[in-house]
Amino acid sequence: MSRPVLQAEGLSKRYGRRLALSDCTLAIPAGRVVGLVGPNGAGKTTLLHIAVGLLPPTAGSIEVLGGHPASGAAQLAKVGFVAQDAPIYAGLSVADHLRFGAHMNPGWDQRLADERIGRLGLDPSQKAGKLSGGQRAQLALTLAIAKLPDLLILDEPIASLDPLARREFLQGLMAYIAEHDASVILSSHLVSDLERVCDYLVVLVASRVRVSGEVDDLLTNHHRLTGARRDLANLPTGTEVIEESHIDRQSTLTVRSTSPIDDRSFTVEQLTLEDLVLAYLSQQTTHPQPVLETTP
Amino acid sequence: MIWLTWRQFRTQTWITVGALAALGVVLVVTGPSIADAYDAANVAACGTDCGAAISNFLNQVRTGAAGIVYQLASAVVYVVPAVIGVFWGAPLIARELETGTHRLAWNQTVTRTRWLATKLAVIGAGTALAVGLLSWAVTSWAYHLDDAHGGRILPLTFSTRGIVPVGYALFAFVLGVTMGMLIRRTVAAMAATLAVYSLAVISMQEWIREHLVAASHVTNPLDISSPELLMIGDNDEMTVIGSHSLSDAWVLSNQTITHTGQVFTGPADPQYCGPEAAVRACDQWVNSLGLRQDLVYHPADHFWPLQLAETGIFIAIALLLAGFCFWWTRRHLT
Repeated sequence: MSRPVLQAEGLSKRYGRRLALSDCTLAIPAGRVVGLVGPNGAGKTTLLHIAVGLLPPTAGSIEVLGGHPASGAAQLAKVGFVAQDAPIYAGLSVADHLRFGAHMNPGWDQRLADERIGRLGLDPSQKAGKLSGGQRAQLALTLAIAKLPDLLILDEPIASLDPLARREFLQGLMAYIAEHDASVILSSHLVSDLERVCDYLVVLVASRVRVSGEVDDLLTNHHRLTGARRDLANLPTGTEVIEESHIDRQSTLTVRSTSPIDDRSFTVEQLTLEDLVLAYLSQQTTHPQPVLETTP
Repeated sequence: MIWLTWRQFRTQTWITVGALAALGVVLVVTGPSIADAYDAANVAACGTDCGAAISNFLNQVRTGAAGIVYQLASAVVYVVPAVIGVFWGAPLIARELETGTHRLAWNQTVTRTRWLATKLAVIGAGTALAVGLLSWAVTSWAYHLDDAHGGRILPLTFSTRGIVPVGYALFAFVLGVTMGMLIRRTVAAMAATLAVYSLAVISMQEWIREHLVAASHVTNPLDISSPELLMIGDNDEMTVIGSHSLSDAWVLSNQTITHTGQVFTGPADPQYCGPEAAVRACDQWVNSLGLRQDLVYHPADHFWPLQLAETGIFIAIALLLAGFCFWWTRRHLT
């Protein structure tokens, strides 16, 4: 297996007495489109800011593409980042932003940038402050992409966009990934935003990593069981209950099990990715250990 | 990075160039009238009766435009460093932090250190160049007028001539950057910059400058023919301040002392200085006391040593602040 694009060990960030990120351990393999999902305030932005070197961690260690975040120009060149709300210079025109990118990045691909701006139908002479939310996000993405990074990190890139702009943004992103062999980490508080694009998922709840792994593995290993109400102690070994709900005589369980469930007393159903994430989000926050799906 | 700094600073640069050019035109236009008045009053060859020649010269200048320009130019040089601190320094980083664009800038292939270094170096150089030119132009334009007004060593004139304005401006600029970095709000940083800058410059002018170079000290017999002050208070307490003939000097203290070196405080003798005494009897009595005049002052030739010391201090503070900015940007700025 190739070296992980992002490897974190016991990563924590504390603001005064508040823990924004606690004991985060992750190993994200290369070449994935990673969805970082969690409710607002879960620590997604903190984790991404640590990964791009905007924030120093309070404890733990992190390596991004084998280097220390923002440790130098070479490291900065390898990582593209679009911060939340896609900051741009309001007083500079679209063309000025491309000039900015060209001057600030030795690896800049002007043709790629021009092509994207052309395809998006942006007027190069327009002041960036007058762009719509979607155009602004696209401009910010263009700046991040045209420096040709190995890893693209996007913090809530589509949260403020309308559905059409969301689709266009994700299409643009996927087109880039298809052409260039880049890894992507993008965050959202809604898994439905990312379902279509990501093949790796990290769920962050209340400053902790709750689950992470390949989407396929997660879907294979999680099941919804419906059956007569009974004691949960008699579940097959190796089965972990993520969420349970009971009505009168019936129980519905969301479980994680690496082996197939052949208990006849349950109806076993596949989970959608959204159901799976919701199960983790609604889980009691006392759950001690994060689930780390590792590819065998 | 130089491109970005230039692009973000283009408007200010053109405004500055325009303002400097406009001022330059005003100075070039009014300059000859000063030279004419100077020649007409024959100040250069005044010999023994310079007082009359100088007041003649000043009267001629005051009736023309140059008189107003003289006041205005000094005011401009006095205010420009503060303006640079408030409008160039304070927003430089604060505006990026406020709008979040530092997150964009810091994720290009340029380290934060280089990002800050370029901004400080380019705009700092611009500041030094613009204020240096301004101060040079005003200092040379006002040369004869400053001499006629008591010399460049006098506190307010001193602050607007020579190289100190450059020191003030560099200090104000870096102070603004620091305030913006710490406060992270443009308007609040501007206000804080103005407050701290004013405090620093006024403290320098009022309390610190006179100690930068050892002042000259002279004791002469008191000449009471035209005293600056002769006052008799309660209990015959008496204050006598003699006039002095130090021209082009910044007098720090002028005291009348007795032959033992104490400051003379009376008591006045009512026989000579009382209400019934004869005219001038008091003067004669004071003269008979053998009082001396004790002067502490900076002569005109302390101008450059004082300029160098004061400019050096402000540039040193600016460098310290810049060092702090680098440290803060690397360690604490997010």
